[in-house]
Amino acid sequence: MRKNSKYGFRLMLTVIMTVVAMTSCNNDNCIGNGSSIPLAGFYNGDKQVSISNLTVYGIGAPNDSVIIDNTSASSVYLPLRLSTGSCSYVFNYNTEDVENDTITLSYDAIPFFQSHECGAMYNFKITSTEHTRNAIDSVRIPDPMITNADVVSIKIYVQ
Amino acid sequence: MRRFFYNIICIACMMAAVNGYAQDQEQQRKVTPVKPSTNKVLTPPKGTKEEIIQQYLTGDTAQARAQERKDSLAKIYPHYPKLTEFSLGLNFGDAILMAFGQKYSSFDLSATLNMWNRFQPVLIAGLGRAKDTPDDMNYTYTGKLSPYFKIGANYNFLFKNEPRYQLYAGVRLGFSTFKYDITDVLINNPYWGEYAQSYQLKGMSSNALWGESLLGLKVHIASNWSLGWEAKFHGIFKSKKNDNGNPWYIPGYGTQNGKWAFGLSLYYTIPLNKDRWPVKEEKKGKDKQ
Repeated sequence: MRKNSKYGFRLMLTVIMTVVAMTSCNNDNCIGNGSSIPLAGFYNGDKQVSISNLTVYGIGAPNDSVIIDNTSASSVYLPLRLSTGSCSYVFNYNTEDVENDTITLSYDAIPFFQSHECGAMYNFKITSTEHTRNAIDSVRIPDPMITNADVVSIKIYVQ
Repeated sequence: MRRFFYNIICIACMMAAVNGYAQDQEQQRKVTPVKPSTNKVLTPPKGTKEEIIQQYLTGDTAQARAQERKDSLAKIYPHYPKLTEFSLGLNFGDAILMAFGQKYSSFDLSATLNMWNRFQPVLIAGLGRAKDTPDDMNYTYTGKLSPYFKIGANYNFLFKNEPRYQLYAGVRLGFSTFKYDITDVLINNPYWGEYAQSYQLKGMSSNALWGESLLGLKVHIASNWSLGWEAKFHGIFKSKKNDNGNPWYIPGYGTQNGKWAFGLSLYYTIPLNKDRWPVKEEKKGKDKQ
């Protein structure tokens, strides 16, 4: 009896250590972004294109802070405002030939628990878009639900 | 002439003596160690059943030999009764894992019927809960105390041995319906100067159906008490999606992204039909003494 108990105790320790090792191998990384920010990509036809000397900022952002400043970009993250149901962005091409464009996004903010690793955030459902037509031809939203997935969710077609 | 006859007589005597010695040697070689057959009654080997002895004595040797063969096979493949034993178990493995920092726990009661010491249908009912505020994250997850149920069966690989020690593989089908809250959410949106935006998601509900395959070991510790370990590999068949986020923890299953789980149980076993259990040879010998 004593021998069996001793054997059982050793076995129990082995199993526990194995399981602790296994549980420590779980993937604790967040798949996707830490928050839901729409990624806008620039397109000409089916091709994604890069726009040089581009400055993007949100109208009403504190301290006139810019999202990107006079750089070449083929895509840009457009953070949405939580306290209002819409926000506007100015696209400055830094050239006298083309005037600035403005895109306005209207949306519903949806509280969402993404996962244990990514945490809680807001997802957004885009309800409408408006834009000027200086360099921008059209704006398409492939999927109105903006999540933390790292994919282009706003397609801006330029002329 | 007399001398000639005398010599012949001497030679004849010597030849007779040599011949006699040779005959003696020949007689010794003919001696055999085998005892001559007698009418003595042969005694059967120890442990032969009285019933078989009687069959031999009545001349029904075919039946006796068939019975002997059956008994011999029974020694190799012991035949336990259909209802061998009934076990009640308490799974408390999560109590140990919580000491290692696990933020959720499930405790359950199981009822296992051991049939033929091979097949073991199992019914499980339990409760699970979770509470976690992960470091460097912006929320508190609370899985409310909720029930879960499992049904399944084991196959005992050590069916030839006593049921006190079992190594088994098993499958389970589990179901749980549960509620959970996401609270203390803090969100910062630095670009727009929005800090400490908060919300709470309370009373979200979901349910899940899942399957498990497992490998287990059951060891007798004292009297009718045993300890059992189980390593489970599991996957979700179906779960209810929620508009505001899917659950992190499922009672009885564990976390959504975990593929492995561990169980440690204490069992109380009630033997059934013990008079029909195969008797060990040693025991038999002791009984006869």
